[in-house]
Amino acid sequence: MAEGGAGEPPPPPRAPLERLVLKNAAEHHYLRVSLEFPDGGVRLNAAHFKQLVVSALKELHGEVGAALPVDVLTYDEKTLSAILRVSSSGFVKLWSALTLLGSYQNRKCAFRVVQTSPFLLALSGNSRELVLD
Amino acid sequence: MVRFKHRYLLCEVVAEDPRCRHCIDERAVTTAAKGALARAHGDYGLACCSIAFTVKYLNAYTGVVLLRCRKDFYRLLWSALPLVTHLESRGQRHPCFFHTLHVGGTIRSCQKFLIQYNRRQLVMLLNSCTNKEERESIQQSLLGCFLQEAEEEQFQSGEEEDDCAETD
Repeated sequence: MAEGGAGEPPPPPRAPLERLVLKNAAEHHYLRVSLEFPDGGVRLNAAHFKQLVVSALKELHGEVGAALPVDVLTYDEKTLSAILRVSSSGFVKLWSALTLLGSYQNRKCAFRVVQTSPFLLALSGNSRELVLD
Repeated sequence: MVRFKHRYLLCEVVAEDPRCRHCIDERAVTTAAKGALARAHGDYGLACCSIAFTVKYLNAYTGVVLLRCRKDFYRLLWSALPLVTHLESRGQRHPCFFHTLHVGGTIRSCQKFLIQYNRRQLVMLLNSCTNKEERESIQQSLLGCFLQEAEEEQFQSGEEEDDCAETD
């Protein structure tokens, strides 16, 4: 420590150092997905949608995959888009299962994963859909 | 030099019906294990474990089976084996289950374990035998089992394999 001059006021006390570590270990991950049919005109209610997701998981990852805690938070029947919540350990499994799903009741279909995030709030807006003047 | 690392799962086929012993063959074990894998872990699990999956050793008399799969995916196979409920051969179903005795990194470690395990089984048999002839024959085979190991150690060469044995 350097000694200050005799007449100088003492320096203000420092705030105690605090180390904050943020590990990226969110409990859940959220996905905004939309289901696409090439010819359109398919109506699916929320239960059927969830069933489709679980069957996709079961096909690729078996009974272990089908038992993953997946929730459909919101579902819009008109646009066939939904927000899914899954525990982080099953995130990759869910994503891969959705990607490899190819048909629903012998009709071709595809899941588009629009956004993913460990925070639900991040799905409230999509910067890719911003219309800039 | 690198090599592909494997895990060897030493399993025992446990069945109440002694006739099941006759139906343990390579194809039946493979189909049973792969069926359980496909059910538990789906296409992904089946494909992962099929990469180097083989039945390396099979003893129909004692019901001991040695399965091999890649090191990265042995957990999938390990967790699927309890779901095997029957072996199917020649159109007949024999109810049985797989009891995993040992998981090893080399065939040699599994062999060592199997010898020790069988010796322990013999000691247990010795305790439970009733007449003198039985006792003598078991003692004979116990002695044989020690000899076998001594011979084995003579054959052991300086070559050392890395061995990461895990017991369950």
